[in-house]
Amino acid sequence: MSEYVTLTINGARVRAPRGSSVLDAALEYGICIPHLCHVPGLTPIGACRLCIVEVIKNGKSKVTTSCTLEVEEAMVIKAHTEKILKARKNIAEMLVAEAPNSRAIQDIAVRCGVKEVRYPFRHENCVLCGRCVRICDELWQSKSLGFVGRGLARKVRLPFDERPDYCKRCNACIDICPMTITPCDGPMKKGEEYFCGKCESQLSMAQESPDTCVDCRLGEGFGCVRARK
Amino acid sequence: MSVAITIEALKKQAEEQKKEENKYGKIVTLCAGTGCSASGCLSVLASLRKELKNKKLTKKVKIRTTGCHGFCEQGPLMVIEPGNTFYCHIKPEDIPEIVSETLQNDKIVERLLYTDPASGKRISREKDIPFYKAQERVVLGQNKLVDPCDISDYIANGGYSALIKVLTSMKADEVIKEIKESGLRGRGGGGFSTGKKWEFCRRAEGASKYVICNADEGDPGAYMDRSVLEGNPHAIIEGMLIGAYAIGAEHGYIYVRNEYPLAVKHSKLAVQQAEEIGLLGKNVLGTDFSFDIKLARGGGAFVCGESTALMASLEGKVGEPRPKDIHTTEKGFMDLPTNLNNVETWANVPSIINKGASWFTAKGTAKSKGTKIFALTGKIRNTGLVEVPMGTSLRKIIYDIGGGSATGKRIKAVQTGGPSGGCLPEELFDLPVDFEALTEAGSMVGSGGMVVMDETTCMVDMAKYFLKFLVDESCGKCVPCRVGLSRMLEIIKDITEGRGTEEKLELLKDTAETVSIASLCALGKTAPNPVLSTIKYFRSEYDAHIKEKRCPAGVCRELIHYSIDKEKCKGCGACFKACPHGAIIKKEKTYKIDDAKCQKCGICKEACKFEAVVVK
Amino acid sequence: MSAKKLDIILSNRQKSSSELIEVMQDIQGVYNYLPEEALRGVSEKLEVPLIEVFRVANFYKAFTLKPRGKHLLTVCMGTACHVRGAPKFLDEVLGQLGVQPGETTKNGEFTVETVNCLGACALGPIVALDGKYYDHMSSGKLRVLIQKVREKPGKKRKRK
Repeated sequence: MSEYVTLTINGARVRAPRGSSVLDAALEYGICIPHLCHVPGLTPIGACRLCIVEVIKNGKSKVTTSCTLEVEEAMVIKAHTEKILKARKNIAEMLVAEAPNSRAIQDIAVRCGVKEVRYPFRHENCVLCGRCVRICDELWQSKSLGFVGRGLARKVRLPFDERPDYCKRCNACIDICPMTITPCDGPMKKGEEYFCGKCESQLSMAQESPDTCVDCRLGEGFGCVRARK
Repeated sequence: MSVAITIEALKKQAEEQKKEENKYGKIVTLCAGTGCSASGCLSVLASLRKELKNKKLTKKVKIRTTGCHGFCEQGPLMVIEPGNTFYCHIKPEDIPEIVSETLQNDKIVERLLYTDPASGKRISREKDIPFYKAQERVVLGQNKLVDPCDISDYIANGGYSALIKVLTSMKADEVIKEIKESGLRGRGGGGFSTGKKWEFCRRAEGASKYVICNADEGDPGAYMDRSVLEGNPHAIIEGMLIGAYAIGAEHGYIYVRNEYPLAVKHSKLAVQQAEEIGLLGKNVLGTDFSFDIKLARGGGAFVCGESTALMASLEGKVGEPRPKDIHTTEKGFMDLPTNLNNVETWANVPSIINKGASWFTAKGTAKSKGTKIFALTGKIRNTGLVEVPMGTSLRKIIYDIGGGSATGKRIKAVQTGGPSGGCLPEELFDLPVDFEALTEAGSMVGSGGMVVMDETTCMVDMAKYFLKFLVDESCGKCVPCRVGLSRMLEIIKDITEGRGTEEKLELLKDTAETVSIASLCALGKTAPNPVLSTIKYFRSEYDAHIKEKRCPAGVCRELIHYSIDKEKCKGCGACFKACPHGAIIKKEKTYKIDDAKCQKCGICKEACKFEAVVVK
Repeated sequence: MSAKKLDIILSNRQKSSSELIEVMQDIQGVYNYLPEEALRGVSEKLEVPLIEVFRVANFYKAFTLKPRGKHLLTVCMGTACHVRGAPKFLDEVLGQLGVQPGETTKNGEFTVETVNCLGACALGPIVALDGKYYDHMSSGKLRVLIQKVREKPGKKRKRK
């Protein structure tokens, strides 16, 4: 079995190492697939659903997250169909309405083409992306945090809400959290939330090429894999 | 200690059991399912036992307590053979008369017979009752014949003969071929070809393989699986044995939801009894095929009905689904090849093996074969469990079997498929129950829940009900389901409370589309169905709520107004006494409702015998 | 909380999460809820990370980390029961006992929970009191039922 496979993403032939994800392969090739819960090196969980793509097989299309999808020889992926773009935009819109106080999420919304937020704003301080949980578990082998509860009651909590003595106090959970970067105009007060979308130059770039990485500064906000480079 | 029993001995035991039974003059079958237990059948049973003892009839009359017969509205009920006499709504006080008249003197107690509402006549034989006559009770009909707590009953009725056939004369591939050709499709809602699933699992590679019975029946309004598991657990065990043999699995689990204590009890007992005679465990029936079954209880989570969540729960973890890019038939429980099927699917296997694939394909439609059990409930006369061939029309089920409306109000919709399904209007009642036909119409067959609604049901309120249920039960992992559904609920609440707008309705539809495309698991993906189907077929109700701020069915509290019609009010004061909020005041000879205090709970309307309480 | 009782429940268990849910069901069967001390003991003895134990205890509706009242009243909110007026009936229950779903009355007598379907759909609205089902309920019947329970001071909660 060869070390690499060749697949097609948005019509382009892409070569990727066996065992890598479709998202990793796409980003490597400069195809912009927005992502939030994805962090290179940590197990993908497919929670934010921003990185969804269509997998075309035998004439049928299936929608799944590219971060959890392993590359396969001759796979056909479409990451920017009308259906996907519409869904991705709506998901980003929902995220901004949940947590407008995060520059990261505001930036993602701009990149996904959100122009207005139709839902009443909420003031959440966590979007349950799970980055903190995974970094604590996988990088620091500490398991001090976890998702506790179901549905809307789901929160990131410490066991019995007490910091255990095996918590390494490394602050990795805070470093990697997308909520730590507040909007450029400063933190928003409760009841006065709004959709920013002010980065004019970013907006027009984003509009013209939704499927290509344009090295936009937006990515810095949410730790886009390509922005880190 | 298990005593190995040979195939020959098992056959002989069955014959002897039958001979034993023929020694009794009469057999009384009493339904003791959860439904009838709630209506008091256990006191009826106690009374019967006592009476038979007093009259010294215990050697002449055999009592068999069974699982659910399906005619739940008529319980407690019993069938007496010979004669096929059917008595319903039995109370303990009726027993002495039943014993002396019917059991001792072969006379019928007229007042305990079922009265057919259509003809007004009393019917004495169970097989003549229209409710039963119109059905084809292949699976559910077995419940009547066996005492679930006694394996010899099952064996005497031909139980485990399919297993014997498989072990003595069929190869694994032949079994899979038979199931594939029968066209059996998953009865839990997925509708996937059972034979194909078995084949995928057989071909998968792994250190060991598992078969699982999904008895986490969580759809509100559905209780078919409970009744089959409570009433005939051996049918599932036999099905699982055959499946395990075909797939090459050595271990199995029956995962029962926490809220079904009787089903847990009966399946545990059945597994134990099967182990005792060598039907489960090492070297089944003396062959070199080994298979064991363990029972697992759910923890109270609807999402655990989803196969990957169920397997996580079995592993002792939280029941969060995972993406199905790799199927569970390849990597399921403990990352090993696992074949999961629903209770009813497993229960169909023994008869397909015994009677052959062509017997099964003779029933049903081109793509949906065999029979299906439905839980028919709601605003209907004959609530209960109904089994019909696939392809039967909704109209036949609702009117011919269900008996139509219980209250005389017009039936306007039927909801099928639970929270993943949709509401279909009366105009579509000629649709057949068929996987593809119902899905195309915007609903689905689902696990078999069928809730009938009449003109006093508000369809927008029903959509709200299902959304609330799903928001409650969502595991919360992915954004579209967790956030999207809560936004949809927010909008529908606005609509039912008078704050609806056209824009919000559009937003509701957009959000619904995203949730159905982007959610991680089937719970999220199918969640918008109730909303989308009600918008499609009952748009006028949405329009009334949005444009006129009015609820035509008189349900949505913020949009209705309770008042007392002076002409009809007789001044009896029943409403005044019943009102828990002190909102009714006496005015001269009649009563009046104080709008400021009225909570629109509806209790006064229920109390009034003169229909003087008006809801607009 | 007796350490002995917990030891009995935890004896002969696999050192992994596989029996976690069963163990919790047993613990709740004995104590009527999941005490924090017991869960910490489970984590230690079964060698399952504490956060995982905490997650499982909080995920499943059958488990409660708060002590329950003497009597558990469960109101079914399934579709068939809903169509037959369960929401109004639930209001009645909450009104009569003065609590919200999931809460226990001040005198520790009753805990009220809702469940999303008990599976006895032909007979709604259904209420389960200490594991026993009561069908075709109404506010009147509920008053009688609560009264009956209150009049039997020695009646112990049925353990499953």
